[in-house]
Amino acid sequence: MSVGCGNRSIGSGGRGRGGGGDSGGGVCEDEVYAPEITYLSLCDYPGEPAIVIFFSGCNYRCGYCQNWKIREQERPHLARIDRIERILEGGKMVTACKVTGGEPLLQLGALMRIARKAKSLGYKFGIDTNGSFPERLSAMLPMLDLVSIDVKTALNEPEYTKVTGVDHPMVSRVVESIRAALASCAFVDLRMVVIPGVNDRLEIARSIGEDLGRLGYREKASAGGACFTLAEFVPENAGSREYAAMRNPSVDELVKLAEALQLPNVRITHRALGHCVSMEKIRS
Amino acid sequence: MPTNVRVKPVSGVLVMTEVIMNGKLPPPVRRSDGVIVPFNKDLIVKSLLKETQLVKELYNERPLTEEEARMIADEVQDEILGMRLKMLSGPLIREIVNVKLLEHGFAKQRNVYTRVGMPLYEVYKIDNSDGYESRENANLQPNPETFHKKKADFLSKESYLLMIPSHIADAHLRGDIHLHDLEYWGTRPFCQDWDLRYFFHYGLMPDGTGTHTSVAGPAKHAEVAILHAAKVLGAAQTNFAGGQGFFNFTVFMAPYLKDFDSKKLHQTAQMFLYEMTQLYVARGGQPVFSSIQIESGVPKVWQDAPVVSHGKKWTDLRYGDLEDTVHAFAVALLEEYLKGDAMGKMFNFPKPEVVQRARYWDDKAFEDVMLKAAELSAKFGSTYYDNMIPAYRGGEDGVSCFQCCAYSFSEDGKSENFQKKVMFEDGAHFSMGGMQVVTVNLPRVAYKSGGDESRLMEVLKSTMDMAKEALMLKKTTIRRQFERGLIPFASQRPRGAPPAVDIDNLSLTIGFVGMNELVQHMTGYEIHEDPSAQKLALKVLIEMDKIRKSYSEETGEKFSIARTPAESAAQRFAVADLIHYPKFARELVKGDLEKGLSLLNDTKDIPVYYSNGAHVNVAAQLPLDQRLSIEQRFFPILKGGDIFHVWLGEANPDPEALMKLNMRLAKQSWVGYWSHTKDITVCRDCGYVGGGLGSNCPVCGSRSVKNYSRITGYYQDVSSWNAAKRQELKDRYRVRLS
Repeated sequence: MSVGCGNRSIGSGGRGRGGGGDSGGGVCEDEVYAPEITYLSLCDYPGEPAIVIFFSGCNYRCGYCQNWKIREQERPHLARIDRIERILEGGKMVTACKVTGGEPLLQLGALMRIARKAKSLGYKFGIDTNGSFPERLSAMLPMLDLVSIDVKTALNEPEYTKVTGVDHPMVSRVVESIRAALASCAFVDLRMVVIPGVNDRLEIARSIGEDLGRLGYREKASAGGACFTLAEFVPENAGSREYAAMRNPSVDELVKLAEALQLPNVRITHRALGHCVSMEKIRS
Repeated sequence: MPTNVRVKPVSGVLVMTEVIMNGKLPPPVRRSDGVIVPFNKDLIVKSLLKETQLVKELYNERPLTEEEARMIADEVQDEILGMRLKMLSGPLIREIVNVKLLEHGFAKQRNVYTRVGMPLYEVYKIDNSDGYESRENANLQPNPETFHKKKADFLSKESYLLMIPSHIADAHLRGDIHLHDLEYWGTRPFCQDWDLRYFFHYGLMPDGTGTHTSVAGPAKHAEVAILHAAKVLGAAQTNFAGGQGFFNFTVFMAPYLKDFDSKKLHQTAQMFLYEMTQLYVARGGQPVFSSIQIESGVPKVWQDAPVVSHGKKWTDLRYGDLEDTVHAFAVALLEEYLKGDAMGKMFNFPKPEVVQRARYWDDKAFEDVMLKAAELSAKFGSTYYDNMIPAYRGGEDGVSCFQCCAYSFSEDGKSENFQKKVMFEDGAHFSMGGMQVVTVNLPRVAYKSGGDESRLMEVLKSTMDMAKEALMLKKTTIRRQFERGLIPFASQRPRGAPPAVDIDNLSLTIGFVGMNELVQHMTGYEIHEDPSAQKLALKVLIEMDKIRKSYSEETGEKFSIARTPAESAAQRFAVADLIHYPKFARELVKGDLEKGLSLLNDTKDIPVYYSNGAHVNVAAQLPLDQRLSIEQRFFPILKGGDIFHVWLGEANPDPEALMKLNMRLAKQSWVGYWSHTKDITVCRDCGYVGGGLGSNCPVCGSRSVKNYSRITGYYQDVSSWNAAKRQELKDRYRVRLS
């Protein structure tokens, strides 16, 4: 668990409640819980070789999570922000920077500093978020070229509880985040990890499709500003034993769900397909 | 059998057997040519006099005199009589003669009089796909041709070690240097990048003389041109030890393809890929080790050159006129590579060498080729990037190519006859390739220096001198074979054309293994750990290049320095040093030392290795751009060849992101040659192909899967790799793709 210099512990405080007005910085202004940096990633930022920074701490407890080891903020995770800034300055082979996690918006102050630095160096900048902090996301949006929001399952409280492993996932806040992101200039990638027996029923896909339609997804996607990605659940990487014993979905199952969404710009990722493949390509 | 002899009513034999019983004459002799004859001492004298003549030819020392030969023969007879044998064989007599020669101090004479071959036990093991070098070359699948080759290889290697001067042979055996492809030492040059125009002008004689094969006129149709191209490489492989390739492939093929639509271009491309991966005939049953250079457009040098095809030099057609075809063919080839074979598996040959030029990056029209190349890297890892942008390549005004095992060959635009070759004047053409590679064990140079830097340079020089001597010897040997018409595909001269291969233009390459361990021994740091280590690596390389230059000036030969692929040498040197320099080597060899040492008494195939060339330790936890900033500095010196590996690991990279990374590598680095290595699992049941080295299939769950990765400069089934390379695969620090 994190030990703060006066600030409250983000990991526990944030869980399930969001924590609206908090500045969201790390334990002190110069540090951030960021246990890992990937200096070059070729699959985290669409179309760009990117530096990826992992913030630790998350308010959800999803059983399928592949980064479950950094779910809690722990003292050894603390990194100096100016060190991260130096790394950004040295990245000769990359064109973008992405912050993922954990939940990056738990440490808003640090995130903003890194975003400002990245933008000033000419990088494209993006984040992954679970969508449960709409106010913080809105504060970030003007600086974002890319926002990737998890759509864990059908956007209702019982289904979300099942996947996220917390009692009050507060789906309304996720919906709010999606709405705000779709109204912004950033490219919006909505991602759903498909777990057989958990969130792979066709009616779930249909209800997501309808909800996203109402939130303005179609318009933005048709203009090339958004996409929906169905990703293969990989049991080998899952944090919980229960999930590790489950099976991965087949490409066919992903295709059926993609059709049920009835949305434009849907993509699929599966080990059998190589990188992200658009439904247009699959249909042809 | 003695009993058979006894009943045979042949008078001579009967007499002989009777005499044996008296014990006054040796028993009869079973000869290896299948007859049984009486023992005859004079035959020993005669063979000694004849065969020890080789001592003069090989080592320039004297053969036995008749008197010496008679003395040996007498002693041999006495020895045999004392043994009370019932039967003798030719090989047995020879072994006794050899012992007598050694007893009298005729070591050199014994060298040439000895038999070469292998223990019966080893032969048995080879036929059962085990034992001798069963993992020396991952391209060799266990099959009847391979078993035959292994036996022949053993015999050849043993012979050549006796035929070359003993100080060179000893240096090889001790592990100071490594003579590559020793089995072909006396018969084949190393590798070649061919000029297709030669065959499109003069036609094809696969045997080089037209006596054992039919002779084809120059191709008039695209299909025939493609088949000729495939057969050129197949025929060439019978004359060369190593890789065979075509530089400028898409450009020289273009005249046959100029009226083709996309469908026909794809069909032609597909034909070539299948031919090159299904001509399963070369060197003991393996596909030709092949590569093709893929230009997206027509390079500056070729823009105004007359087209050579259909048996003529065109007066009204220049390669520059065919740019659209070259471009479309490059795309078709890459799309066929992307499709893979009928099982969805990658084509591991011919290696696609996709040329990088500033024009291909700056002109949006070529983006499709660059993106396809990246897609191919992302899917199978198979693309190689041949970067002409750094000035040291001389690729804009000259001709240059990387091929086969990442060796590089080039001809300077200002060199003699360059324009004649471009214009194909009187059949003048390019012939780029390697004569031989000899690799130097750099860590051992460090051990011998006792940690003293000036001594280091002295030992380096003397080790390189040994390599140079070996290379010059090889050159002399092969030149003689070439002139006598014994490398007939290479020396062919159809219709009075110049010989297909310019034997004097082949590179004599000095390779090296373990720069990382050399500097680690000298400075205490690996290359990536401290600037002082990098500084020393650079200093050693510059010294090596200086020595190389002095060799070229002294001999007039094309000497070059290269990182060798060292598929087996990186392991062999590490093992040799664990034996000869255990104190130092135990500190430095990479891999699983503990396991290696526990196995060392039983096998030399153990999971330890030295870092290849001047590469950073594959396990170093180093961001790619930091490794790049170290390794790129070595490229301009290593004009003989080097490669930069991007180990992607298992994930599925985004092709567009990968393309942007390629653009940076091409335009902002000095790297002349790189590839992205993706580990791949192929399911033999459902045909799934995907990233990672899994033990079961994520689609159908089958456990019948094969894992593929890039062993050194090519892709092969991991199960056929040697223990050191399998260990290295485990150790590789990959670009993390979450």
